[in-house]
This record gives sequence, structure tokens and C-alpha cells, in this order.
Amino acid sequence: MLMDNLQSLRYFYPELTLIVAMLVVVIVDISFNRLRNVLNPLLTIAALLIAAYFTAYVNHGQEANLFLGMLALDSFAQFFKLFLLLAALLVVLGSLHSEELLQVHQGEFFALLLAVTLGMLLMANSINLAILYLSLELVSLTSYIMVGYLKGDRLSNEASLKYILFGAISTGSMLYGFSLIYGMTGSLNLYTIRDAFLSQGVQGFDQFTILLALVLTLAGFGFKTAAVPFHFWCPDVYAGAPTPVTAFLSVAPKAAGFAILVRFLFSGMTQTSGSEWGLVNGINWPLVLIGISVLTMTLGNIAALTQNNLKRMLAYSSIAHAGYILMGSVVLTGEGLKSMLIYMFVYLFMNLGAFLVVTIIYNSDRSFEIGDYHGMFKRAPFLTFAMGVFMLSLTGIPPFAGFLGKLYVFLAVIEKGLFWFAVVGTLNAAVAAFYYMRVIKAMVLEEGNGKTAPLHVSFLNQALLVALLIPNLILVVFWNPIERWTASSVKLFSGL
Amino acid sequence: MELAIFLILSMIGIASALNILIQRHPIYSALSLILTFLSLAGIYIQMQAEFIAVMQVVIYTGAIMVLFVFVIMLLNVKAEERVPNKLIGMRYVGIPLSLLLVTALGLNIFQSFSGQTLRVSDVSTSGLTGNTQSIGKLLYTQYTLPFEVTSILLLVGIVGAIIMAKKEL
Repeated sequence: MLMDNLQSLRYFYPELTLIVAMLVVVIVDISFNRLRNVLNPLLTIAALLIAAYFTAYVNHGQEANLFLGMLALDSFAQFFKLFLLLAALLVVLGSLHSEELLQVHQGEFFALLLAVTLGMLLMANSINLAILYLSLELVSLTSYIMVGYLKGDRLSNEASLKYILFGAISTGSMLYGFSLIYGMTGSLNLYTIRDAFLSQGVQGFDQFTILLALVLTLAGFGFKTAAVPFHFWCPDVYAGAPTPVTAFLSVAPKAAGFAILVRFLFSGMTQTSGSEWGLVNGINWPLVLIGISVLTMTLGNIAALTQNNLKRMLAYSSIAHAGYILMGSVVLTGEGLKSMLIYMFVYLFMNLGAFLVVTIIYNSDRSFEIGDYHGMFKRAPFLTFAMGVFMLSLTGIPPFAGFLGKLYVFLAVIEKGLFWFAVVGTLNAAVAAFYYMRVIKAMVLEEGNGKTAPLHVSFLNQALLVALLIPNLILVVFWNPIERWTASSVKLFSGL
Repeated sequence: MELAIFLILSMIGIASALNILIQRHPIYSALSLILTFLSLAGIYIQMQAEFIAVMQVVIYTGAIMVLFVFVIMLLNVKAEERVPNKLIGMRYVGIPLSLLLVTALGLNIFQSFSGQTLRVSDVSTSGLTGNTQSIGKLLYTQYTLPFEVTSILLLVGIVGAIIMAKKEL
């Protein structure tokens, strides 16, 4: 159902909540000098919760095209919106007791976080290239500012500048790709674009132009998801940004990037006949994506092996994980898409957890070097246990949630008969085990370097650690709800 | 006649765009950029998009470029000095790759002249007179949401600029 602008507002409450909250946070920050440090986090958390409520209950089960075909209201968007709001919420909680951010003024940080969340929500349900581009820009622009938030820190400034330069170029190439698509099909709407490709067939369009447009567009999405060869910004930006921001960037915008990738490719470039999915003639993007996926995971894992800075190591590891997630997008099945969503869901908890441990250790030790993690087991046994779980989960060892993600992705690929692809993935997981284990070894087996005082972990951070540990420990047993939820989220694409 | 004007404008545009890169003094680069914008505006007029042409001149050539020149003068930027490039080895990868990109894009544009690759889209603006009117109509109907999102984007830009520029908040 196509809805006009006024009708659509009824289903736009989550986004409106975030907009209002963002403006209020800015105003509170100027007006209440004393209370602002208490009020702003509370306002942000409340806004995220209200937005999640609207998404989960009020908009649940509705299907419509809002704002004259700009946004899609469907279960796929709902999954991503809840995912992104949850990620934002966890990051807000994780940033409250971060010494890095406490050094600088925090008020605008929350306004920016709300703005970037708004951009990601719009990304997740845009079906029009104009709004897709604008929401992507909103996310990128805000990310540049958040990365450079530590003004006194040279690394943070450098990271921000690098991010802007890479971002500008990739946006430019993506826009050129969009303009070619618009020129060929005469429409910005993804469904109209697909219909134009279908009705004209191969002969109607120039193969070369289609390929060029697709490659240029994928470059933009690849930048957002930090896929090789568009990953060069990633390690420096992740190492330079404040740790909570790094945690955020490694999960949320990446997931939003995958959301638009899936929407763009599956809504715009696939045809369906019955339950079978086929490619629009002349557009063979799975082939391109297989290459990108293999390169991404291999390069990410191999580069992570030699890193001594934990933030850089986790940056490369997040590149590798983007490769695993991409595996799910190359098989043209609902199973493939479902496996992507499951992988992202478990990745959220393990990666945010790992970054939270990094934040906590930095708070008291002021170091990101693995060498300074030696003997951590004696100083903070619970923290070490938590980090151990997150690392094993990231590796994909069975009793932990990470295993579930890898299992589904590999199964989807094997079902399609791409055995060698699954083998490459498994070999990569084995390589990854080496550097994840290195962290555990440093924390548990190595002798400490003199420091013996127990590490201080604030109550909030302890609670947050437990909250992140639980999904990692129990999801393997209680995977059924997740499986059903993700399966119903991708129905849209398999049922078309 | 039309083709001749187009060719002249595009030649000026390309030449001044190249000049931006070649000049070593930032003021000259900025002035070349103005020339590029002006020739682009001319091409827009030729496409009967007079609103976009005027906006191009008023916003880019007028406002933004004046700021550019001001900033360059305030910072007192001197001509760029030639420093030994550390990434000199990259040229062996970079030059072939950029040549490949230029060939791909050029081939594409060339094909669009000869074949029917690119179709002119039919925007539903029938019944409206004038370019400006149809843009306004579209902005307040079909493209209301992108229009509003743009305003949030600008707000974030303003907030970000203040965060980056101010010493103490």
C-alpha cells in the first residue's frame, strides 16, 4: 500500500522520537549547566527505548510504502531497526563510564548518537535511492564527527580526517553509480528499477554500463561495511576513535550498510518466479560478492595476526566478520539472508562485549597494548572470564553464540553447493582462532608486569558485562526464537 | 549551434578542472574552480534547467567560493612546496588503475552518444510551467521526506562544525 506524506507520519513515530530527542538534548545542553550531564544520557536512553517500543509494538506487522514510496515498512526493516536501537542503547550505556569521553564535553555526543541512529533507521527501510543516499550521508557525516571527538588527541583527529577523505570519495563513486542507474531506468525507486530491468531484458541495456553502475554502487556500500578493497580507512579510524565510538562503528553502521546492500540487491536486482530467486539478466552480482567476501575475510584475519594494539586487532577482526556476513548474501535463498541476520545479531553481543572490556581496562591502565594485559587474570578474574567468552565467541567455538552465526552462514553456503566457499570460511576461522587465543593467553598465562592492585570495574560496567555475557552463553541453547524471528524478517524477499 | 556551445562550455570546464590540479597556489586553484562551476552552470542552462543553473552560481560560485577564498587568505596559505613523495611506489599501481577507470567511464559516455543506453527519464511534471515551479512542487510532494532529512543533515553539520572548531564547550 502506498501512503502519502500525512498518512505515513503515523508509522514514523520511532524516527520522530529520535529527532525530537536530539533537538531536546542540544537545548538541554545549552540551558542546564548543572543538570546536563545527568539529563542528557537519561533523555537519550528514554528516546531509544520509546523508539524501540514504537517499532516493536505499534508498527508491528504493518506493511506499507511510506512517503510516496520512499520508505518501506516491513518486517525486514523492523528487525534492523530493533537491532540498531539495541546497539545504540548498549553503546550509550557503555560510554557513560568511559574515561576517554569523560575528558571532553559530552552533551553533543548524545545528540550525535541520536542523529546517527536516526540515519541508520532510515537506511534500514529506504527503498528509494534519494533517501538511501541522504540517510547514508547522515550516518557518515555524524560518524566523522564522533570519530574526531577527542579534540586534544592527534590520533583521533587524524582518524577523522582520513575517514572524511575516504568517505567523500566512496560517496562520490556511489552517486555516480546511482546516476547511471537513474539514467538507464528513469527511476529512483528500487522496485521500479527492477521492473525496468526486467521489462527491457538484456538487450535493452548495455551490459557494460550495468556492470559499471553496479561496481561503483557496491564501492559505496563496501566502504560502509568496510569490505576489502574499501577497508583502508578502517584500522586507523577504529584505533583513533574513542573506544565506545569504535564499538558503535564496528557494529551498527556496518549492519545498516548490510541492510541497504541486501535491499538494493534483492529488491532492485533480483527477479522471483514462485519460490525461486533468479538474477535479473545480465546482472551477476553474486560472483562479484564472492570475490569480495573471500578477500575480506582472508585479508582481515591475516592482518589481525600481527597487531599488538587490541583496538587495531579488533578492527581487522571486524573486517573479517564483514566477510563472513557477506557469505550469506551470495546465495539467492531465504536461508542465506536469514543466516546474515543471525550472524549480525550474535556479532552485536560478542563485539560490543570485547570493546567494553577494552574500555574498562583503558579506564584504569591507559593502554590498548596486548602486552599490558599480561597477568590480568589475577587482577580482575571476572573481567578476564568475560573477555575469554567474547574471544571464544568471536572465534566461533561451539558452546558460545558466535558458533551459531558461523554454523548458519556455512550451512546456507553448503546447501547451495558452494563447498569450497565454506572450506575457505572454515580455514579463515582457524586462522582467526590464533589471534583471539593470543589475547586469552596474555590475560591468563603470562606473568604480570608488576601491577597487582585489583582492577576497578564500576557497577554499571559490571552490569553491562553480565548483560552482554548472557546472550553469548545461552543463545546456542535458546536459538529457536532468534531463528523464527529472522526467518519471518526475510519472508518479504522470499515471498515476493 | 547547440553542439558548438556545449563543446565550448565543456572544454572550458574540463580545462579549468585540470587547472585546479596543476596550479600549486591554492588561490589559483580556487579561481579555476569558480570557472568550472560557471561553465557547468552554462551547461545546465542549455539543458533548460535554469533553476539549477542559478543555484549553482548563487550558492557554489557565490557563497561557497567566497568562503574558500577568505579561508585561504586568512590562513595565508603559500604556494605548495614540492616535497619528496613517500608514496612514490604507489604510482605504478595508481596510474594504471586510474587510466582503467577513465577508459571505463569514457567508453560508457561514448556509448551513450551512439546507442540508446541512457534514456531520458519522464518526470511527471506535466501541467506545470517552468522548471522552478516543478522543482518546488516535487520538493513538497514526492520528495518531502528527503527534503526534511536534508535539514537534519545540515543541523548535524552545524553541530559538528561547532564541536570541531570551539576550544572549550
